[in-house]
Amino acid sequence: MTPERPVPFRGGGFAPRRRRFVALAAFAVLLGAWELAGRGGWISPIFLPRPGTILGALGDLVRSGALAEHLGASLFRIAAGWTLGSALGFAAGLAIGLFSLARSAGIPIVSALFPIPKIALLPLMILWLGIGEASKVATIALGVFFPTVIAVYAAVDAVPRNLIRMAQSFGVPPAAILRKVVLPGAWPAILSGFRITASIALILVVSAEMIGAQRGIGQFVLQAGNLMIPEDLLAGIVVLSALGLGIGALIGTIERATTRWR
Amino acid sequence: MRRRHLLRSATAAAIAAPVLGPSRGRAQALEKVSIGVLKLASSGPLFIAMARGHFRAQGLEVEPKYFTAAAQVPVAVTSGDADFGVTGLTAGFYNLAGRGALKMIAGQSREEPGFQLNAYMATAKAWEEGLRDLKAYAGKRIAITTTGSTFHYSLGLLARKYGFDMASVTMVGLQQLPAMAAAFKGNQVEGIVIPVTLARQLEAEAGGRILGWVGDETPWQLGALFTSPKAIDQRRATVEKFTRAWAMGCADYHAAFNARDAQGRPAKGPGYDELLDVLAKAVEQPAARVADGLPFVDPQARLDVGDIHSQVAFWSAEKQLRGEVDAKAIVDTSFVAGHFNIPRG
Repeated sequence: MTPERPVPFRGGGFAPRRRRFVALAAFAVLLGAWELAGRGGWISPIFLPRPGTILGALGDLVRSGALAEHLGASLFRIAAGWTLGSALGFAAGLAIGLFSLARSAGIPIVSALFPIPKIALLPLMILWLGIGEASKVATIALGVFFPTVIAVYAAVDAVPRNLIRMAQSFGVPPAAILRKVVLPGAWPAILSGFRITASIALILVVSAEMIGAQRGIGQFVLQAGNLMIPEDLLAGIVVLSALGLGIGALIGTIERATTRWR
Repeated sequence: MRRRHLLRSATAAAIAAPVLGPSRGRAQALEKVSIGVLKLASSGPLFIAMARGHFRAQGLEVEPKYFTAAAQVPVAVTSGDADFGVTGLTAGFYNLAGRGALKMIAGQSREEPGFQLNAYMATAKAWEEGLRDLKAYAGKRIAITTTGSTFHYSLGLLARKYGFDMASVTMVGLQQLPAMAAAFKGNQVEGIVIPVTLARQLEAEAGGRILGWVGDETPWQLGALFTSPKAIDQRRATVEKFTRAWAMGCADYHAAFNARDAQGRPAKGPGYDELLDVLAKAVEQPAARVADGLPFVDPQARLDVGDIHSQVAFWSAEKQLRGEVDAKAIVDTSFVAGHFNIPRG
């Protein structure tokens, strides 16, 4: 007989939780160190302006009213481009997820067109759609469209087939299966697709505003880069990340509201 | 058979190169320096000075670092990736120079009367509708690369010359030349400021009209050779040697390409064909195209210092500069003799 040995408890850990004040403290330490390094002259203001300088540039933007103008112009382009790209992408993705014909034609087309860099198309976009809002909205819509297609059809594919079969065996008509089984089943995955495409829309606003924009956060960032004014450039980046946080929170709210049934 | 023959001659060349190449024999004695540069004819003095061995004669081995946009070159010198830089002067350059990162030491190309380098154009449609002279640029949409670019400055000079308000012109920043050309072809703008090769193309393909040349209408100091204040402090002898070789390249360039006959028409100067070949190879363009857009370069690499002061004043008035930029502090006139138009006081 082997002697009895006490077994120590080996569980626990591997369950990271979020503590809000830690995140804030981490930011504070990071920014504080950065600020001190800048003030101490360890980091040249040409290479990386300190947070205080960036905040000052941001303050100038707010006070002059330029920020509101830039934000207004960019938010319109982001909203219009994202909505257009998502609506078309949703329809195409659903078709690919449901019908053999659409699937056979759609997947190769998406694979062929998705990797085209949108910036390389700028001269053509200008010829096709001009330098007004249409080409800017289209640039964002095009960037949002393809990832949405992929997210939607993958989400539809992931709906458990046995649920669909069960509904069929109960004699539920196809339209109702789509509405009551497929879409609710695919919705959470589609929402995470939206999370990604919303960020893509933010990234693309800079490319879109390369097309002769007079106003816009992307145009402001581009101009600051051309003029080599790093504090303005970083102030623009801060605004873009704040927008990203805002949109992320918005989608989070929608997520909680529409997936409560789970 | 043939391949083996090729292979053998290649091997022979590889063995012979260190013996034949004058640079290799004295490689240890040569000091290495790098320069940020664009593959454009305006960088011609550099390519010529390298091909003719002017740098080697000064004990320097030059490594060119190629960039695709004028804005990148001053950044490379600021970050220490290149010891020198030579390119067109933009507001971005003055912002870096104003913060003490750069100093101009010699001239590069200049917009001069009789040299067709950049054109002010009108689209066929705008021409029909009455945009027939440069005064009429007021109130129009003009395609440029970016705010703060050399094109922006040329437009500013035009506004001053013809007395129209710069704020009345809508500058359409399209970042790249192909995008500018596309907007022009599609009548999305009324006018454009664009280099000669594209200007000719737009004339032929889109019926665009050349209203004038920047050099004829509004001459200015387009480009400069610059380095960091640190290099001037710590490697002054090297900067002197480099500038000397650069000035010799400028002299060769000027003699070959900027010659004019009695009627003021372009003429071939000494070494024209040989040096055109050097340029064509360096910028990777057909010689005929390079010959179409050869800018004026001062034979002694002098700067129009007064014009540098005007540029700083313009960018400051256009609110494209952060903080005070002292035009005097960003030019070091001690490396080239005879800089002209130096403001007094």
